[in-house]
Amino acid sequence: MAEISVAMAASHAPGLTGWFDKAPEADQRTVLAAYAEIHAALVESRTDVLLVIANDHIANGLVSDYADFTFGTAERHTGPDEWFKPWLRVPDYELPGRPDVAEVLYESVKDRAPRVRAVRENLRYDDNLSVPVTMADIVSTGVAVVPVLQNCTVPPVPDERVCYALGETLGEAIRTRLPAGLRVGLLGSGGLSHEPGGPRYMEIDEKFDRWWMDLLVEGDHEKVLTDATFERMEEAGSGGTAELLSWMVVMGAIGPRPCKALGYAAVDQWRCGFGAVRWDLS
Amino acid sequence: MDDPEMALEYFDPLLRTNDLVQDLKWDRELRARFESSEKQVLDAYPLTAEERTAILDRDFRKLFELGLHPYLLSQLARLIYGTGETAGTSGAATALLKSLLGDRYDSYMAERGE
Repeated sequence: MAEISVAMAASHAPGLTGWFDKAPEADQRTVLAAYAEIHAALVESRTDVLLVIANDHIANGLVSDYADFTFGTAERHTGPDEWFKPWLRVPDYELPGRPDVAEVLYESVKDRAPRVRAVRENLRYDDNLSVPVTMADIVSTGVAVVPVLQNCTVPPVPDERVCYALGETLGEAIRTRLPAGLRVGLLGSGGLSHEPGGPRYMEIDEKFDRWWMDLLVEGDHEKVLTDATFERMEEAGSGGTAELLSWMVVMGAIGPRPCKALGYAAVDQWRCGFGAVRWDLS
Repeated sequence: MDDPEMALEYFDPLLRTNDLVQDLKWDRELRARFESSEKQVLDAYPLTAEERTAILDRDFRKLFELGLHPYLLSQLARLIYGTGETAGTSGAATALLKSLLGDRYDSYMAERGE
């Protein structure tokens, strides 16, 4: 039986690497401290493989044939994708993959949700993987990574209950189908409120963000699922806020429990609310 | 804004401009041709006259209403106006918002103190 070693989630707005210095220093410090804590938690938890549930921003498929969940089963994952380089301004990176783990987890959920795929070729990574890898300095930890890219913006989007249930299945598979002693970490990458490319492109719904963070800290997952619906996320920034569905997958895998907020910042220039949490697994 | 439009309400996955933007992102050579001879690239795609004109006119509002996914809309703005972020508000984002908001742009920005 493998074990879930750590469970966290954080925003990955491209502004965090591309134009970090446009934010007030206090907000920069908040982000740096939160990602430093994620790095430390990864090391301290002795995680062997980190499952990064991240959003696919239409980087890997046509909108008319779009996967809902894509497991990256490559031996190594490299990024960022060329098109995003001038914008993200992160160093090129290469992470060890875990095809064996990725395959087992893919097999466990492939019939549990629509359009689940496994891809052996390197996926195109934008801010979804590149920002946490850079900000949390994941390369230096040596931890292997299994990326799971998720549709949260091309309708019909798998909603909060589908994502939570998929997380439950993943958690079960980690505990029952992966090798004993393996320590599997979870990181949800995405959100908070924003509306990429829409009429509210410049807006952050700080009220929603703070409500969401408080709700998570409380730890009542049924309440989260009832109140923080896909529709509610769309109201707080259409096509972007629903990136929080990646957090829902992590929540499903670990079950109801409170978490600790690692920080929050609303910086207009980043065009996306920043928040990060670490769940209490004790 | 009082009654915000939902960014995905017009989205049409069959609108070919969606695929054109994807191809431009993925194919560096096509991107170079788009920069040097945009009309030729547009001619090679089965776009409707409305889509073609909207792209040439930089009419993001029209493309939004025709069904281009907002995320790809922002990437098209970047393809046309550049990807660099010299400030929090990039040229591409400004051009996109001006087109999306039309007459409301000035009052919207003033309301935000920008």
